[in-house]
Amino acid sequence: MDIENYILSGIIEQYVMGLCTVEEKIELEILRQQHNVLNDAIVSFELSMEKKMMNDILWPSEETDEKILRAINSLGIPVLPINKTTHKAANMGWLKPVAAAASILLVISAFFNYNLFNKNKVQQKQLALANEKPVSLPSADYNILKNPTITPVAMYGVGYHAICRCTMFWDKKTGKAYIMIHHLVRSSDKKDYQLWAMVNDKPVSVGMINDAIRDRFIEVSNVPANATAFIVTLENTGGSPSPTLQETYLQGRL
Amino acid sequence: MKIQSTYTEATLVAALQKRDNEAYQYLYTNYRGALFAIINQFVNETETANDILQEVFIAVWKNIDKYDPAKGRLFTWLHTLTRNTSINTIRTKNFKSFQKNEQLSDYVSGIELKNTIQQNINLIGLRKQVHQLRDEYKAIVELFYYNGFTQDEVAKILEIPVGTVKTRLRNALIELRKQFK
Repeated sequence: MDIENYILSGIIEQYVMGLCTVEEKIELEILRQQHNVLNDAIVSFELSMEKKMMNDILWPSEETDEKILRAINSLGIPVLPINKTTHKAANMGWLKPVAAAASILLVISAFFNYNLFNKNKVQQKQLALANEKPVSLPSADYNILKNPTITPVAMYGVGYHAICRCTMFWDKKTGKAYIMIHHLVRSSDKKDYQLWAMVNDKPVSVGMINDAIRDRFIEVSNVPANATAFIVTLENTGGSPSPTLQETYLQGRL
Repeated sequence: MKIQSTYTEATLVAALQKRDNEAYQYLYTNYRGALFAIINQFVNETETANDILQEVFIAVWKNIDKYDPAKGRLFTWLHTLTRNTSINTIRTKNFKSFQKNEQLSDYVSGIELKNTIQQNINLIGLRKQVHQLRDEYKAIVELFYYNGFTQDEVAKILEIPVGTVKTRLRNALIELRKQFK
């Protein structure tokens, strides 16, 4: 691939502004690991966009600040009253009329924080009790985790499947990988999850994942030694010769 | 409590992921103005904009663990979260502006598009720059960025091939980028 032309194509702007398709996004995220010049170009545009948008400021009203902080506090998030001094603020005159409001905020916040403090004490006790319970793991699984040469690969959900999570432990010596599903929608009778390794920018099928197995490692074999990333797609039962990228559920990279 | 005046991106993220109160206050103090400006490009009702800002900061707190610095800067993540929340809110509330329920033909003509948009939105920030682009670029950025349509949807709306949509979007973004400097 001509990476210079790729950089100039507009794909970076599309990616940073959140306008890529799933396929374009996956391709770019794999390529940026392989080409520092691409990664640098992405960061450069991010900084450029950030600088522009951090200069286009519109402040919410004092009432809005207060309302938002109240809402956040009511969810159990301990947030102090807002510090009005920002690194952007040039005109400080507006601070005067809000001084009184800030004082009110402080009182409100103190009230919520006191309640939270009491709630947190109870939660900490419960957590401490939970932590005292012994954690058991099948010995075979425990041995996998103990292997010092194993490479862990965190796999994150893609697009609408952002909440999906798996962890893969890859033994490069044996070509085996062990997958633990943390969260993955169960496949239907007619569909199966398929694991793909990305080798030289191309997907190579590793095999099917039996997602009925939970709380144990799922073993797969013949993982290509030169894989640089992995994706999991949902395919028709038995698998496909090429991945259906629109059905990408997970991706992970080294 | 004394608020730390500066953070590096890495220390701020690390502190947020530890649910550090001070870091969250810093985030709200320093980023709310930019995010509120983004939101106000999507909606022209103050009350709705306020609700979106609140929803964004709650989402940040709940989802900060999902933020992966290897995939982009914190602001890029906040921007995407803000844009997505804005579009979702608009769709949920079924706004009666120039959204999906408008006649699709309205989007085809640059002049009609301009008239429709200027009656219903705040021309501030990035959107002001978008409206300095030529009509065909302006229309495509409006459809993708501000309305969240997919490539296939935009192709149907503009009655042009998907390939042309993709090329036009990228060219429009390259032009838009020039105005960032």
